Amino acid sequence: MSLFATRGLTVRFGGLTAVDHVDAGVEEGETLGLIGPNGSGKTTFFNAVTGLVPATGEVVFRGAPLPGLEPHQICRRGIARTFQASRLCLGLSVFDNVLIGMHTHVRCGLLEALFRRARMLSEVRQALKQAAHLLSLFNADLVDRGFDPVGALPQIDRRRVEICRALAAQPRLLLLDEPSAGMSPEETVELMKDLQIVREEMPGLSIIIIEHDMFVIEGVSRRVVAFNYGRKIAEGTFAEVARNEEVREAYLGRGSGTEGSARA
Amino acid sequence: MIGVWAVELGLFVLVVAALLAERPIAVGLTVAAIGILLLAARTSPRLWGWVATAFRTHRAAALAGAAVLALALPFFLRASPYWTFVATMALIYVTIGQGLNVQMGTAGVINLAGAAFAGLGGYTVGLLTVRLGFAPWLAFAIGPLVAMVVGALLFIPILKVRGHYLALVTIAFGFIFNILMNNLEFTGGPQGIKNIPTLRLFGHAFTTAPTLFGVTLPSHANFYYAALAMAALVTWLAWRLYNSWVGLTLNTLRDDEIAAKCSGVSVTRHKLLAFSIGNLFVGLAGAFYAVMVGFVSPPDFDFGYSLVMLSVVILGGLDSIPGVVLGACLLIPLPERFRMLHEYRLLLYGAAIVLMLLFRPRGLWPAGVRRYGLGSPAGSFGAAGTRAEGVGVSR
Ligand SMILES: Nc1ncnc2c1ncn2[C@@H]1O[C@H](COP(=O)(O)OP(=O)(O)OP(=O)(O)O)[C@@H](O)[C@H]1O
Ligand SMILES: [Mg+2]
Repeated sequence: MSLFATRGLTVRFGGLTAVDHVDAGVEEGETLGLIGPNGSGKTTFFNAVTGLVPATGEVVFRGAPLPGLEPHQICRRGIARTFQASRLCLGLSVFDNVLIGMHTHVRCGLLEALFRRARMLSEVRQALKQAAHLLSLFNADLVDRGFDPVGALPQIDRRRVEICRALAAQPRLLLLDEPSAGMSPEETVELMKDLQIVREEMPGLSIIIIEHDMFVIEGVSRRVVAFNYGRKIAEGTFAEVARNEEVREAYLGRGSGTEGSARA
Repeated sequence: MIGVWAVELGLFVLVVAALLAERPIAVGLTVAAIGILLLAARTSPRLWGWVATAFRTHRAAALAGAAVLALALPFFLRASPYWTFVATMALIYVTIGQGLNVQMGTAGVINLAGAAFAGLGGYTVGLLTVRLGFAPWLAFAIGPLVAMVVGALLFIPILKVRGHYLALVTIAFGFIFNILMNNLEFTGGPQGIKNIPTLRLFGHAFTTAPTLFGVTLPSHANFYYAALAMAALVTWLAWRLYNSWVGLTLNTLRDDEIAAKCSGVSVTRHKLLAFSIGNLFVGLAGAFYAVMVGFVSPPDFDFGYSLVMLSVVILGGLDSIPGVVLGACLLIPLPERFRMLHEYRLLLYGAAIVLMLLFRPRGLWPAGVRRYGLGSPAGSFGAAGTRAEGVGVSR
């Protein structure tokens, strides 16, 4: 049985059906690629899964239905995500941006913060070590810059911090929304290495990755789902999907080849 | 360490001189001296760097020095009950500022009804003591709780409302509060509530002049010391709150609500938490004010004071705990010193806010990154051996 599956997942914005009866799923430890032209509903699919937009249909995660839950409850169940346009808190430190990812695991609350300082600080220290560990998987310099504001980092490091924030939640399913958006080709190669590291370090983690860059998709995911106009139009290995008539048409029909120069 | 104390003592002497100087020449000279010193510090990076480093490395000594000077202040101001009173007001505003800062600075929850929440604390004390005969200390303890609970009740219906609607609701609440106080019978209408009994500590009434070390201080010194304790306590709590998971969570939902939600933060719960803590502090200051002056009336808590409170936080620096202290200690005494400014007080505050937003949007003393009071460099957390552990704090 798959870790995560949707059945007939649908999102409507007024007259527009952004996600149209989508059945998709991912196994434990699998990386699923999600492709499709601009505006085909990929981000909306993530938003529906994470509870940010209302949806109809079924989402089953670890054997239990998700719909109706608030985003923070869904995170608590074990789904973490990144965003297409970075959503880091630029004024906060690198560490703080990763630590917030551990929110659902934190035990100390207001009482400990105010009156049981030693207990809280030992938890914070341990969390900082975890954060440092995650950051060092990608770039050891990030640890030394842990108390710098994230806004001072270059684009690729910001993306890494955002991925670390999602990983810090110890999710079972990680949703990556176009991690290579806004990166140079060299940075994209580095990012792919980073994703490979995640794969090795967390073999049980399931990942769904949205990408316009077919090079990235081919490199990190074995199975691919293609969207067009909110519908799933193809599913299979990268090679199968790339050969699919409808997929080729969807991309070519909009004036951009499968090499996917189109980026949001 | 001696250097830190010397700087503090020098500033203290100048400030006291500026406050007490009678003749315009003397006032001008001391103010000019302070101005030149600050300017020199700001324009000479070396001097400023030295001061900043000294205060950072000897933080405990700096705090101890500041505490000693704050405790000594009434002795220097003893000839002037008026200035003792103004200093007390500054401390009350420190308390209020810390409360508003938890809401607006840390959590980004705009509250433009600070005066009304202070008024809730103050009126509660007045009503409970004068109308119902409660013991003053008990009423003083209940006042802030009422401010907190009313704030929460006001907030819950609009929990789901996003953006600046809450700001509008708080403005409306401030006006409604004032209109109600003006028109309700049991709150005394425009006259307010008079003869609020004063506090007693170990049999010593706060209205009798205290004698310390053989020196008799004005009776206002009682309130000064009490306000100092209150402001110090609230500032200490605010610092701990900021340097904790709670502070981090509030900051995150302030900066990006969606990122916070998707990290598992219950946004409404935490906004309510920040709003409640803030109103508790503000209500505490209001209750204190009521027992200090002995009466409450609607004009003491009108919208203008909400703006004063707002400017304290913005001037000092949103989300900056030392900034709030600095903001209150600058903004409250200043118009009192220059009486001609007093008429134009609100104008002054308005100008201060606009200038700050234009030229120094993060305030006079901007908030730094959160270090949780650990004092360790970032690299020290990257120690080898953590690789083996799993991800997550809960183990
Ligand atoms: N909150 C919203 N309200 C109304 N329409 C929306 C909303 N979010 C997305 N849409 C619309 O839904 C459609 C799908 O958008 P979505 O962002 O999911 O596409 P995408 O596949 O992620 O595209 P891209 O590759 O450009 O990121 C688009 O037509 C978009 O305009
Ligand atoms: Mg998208």
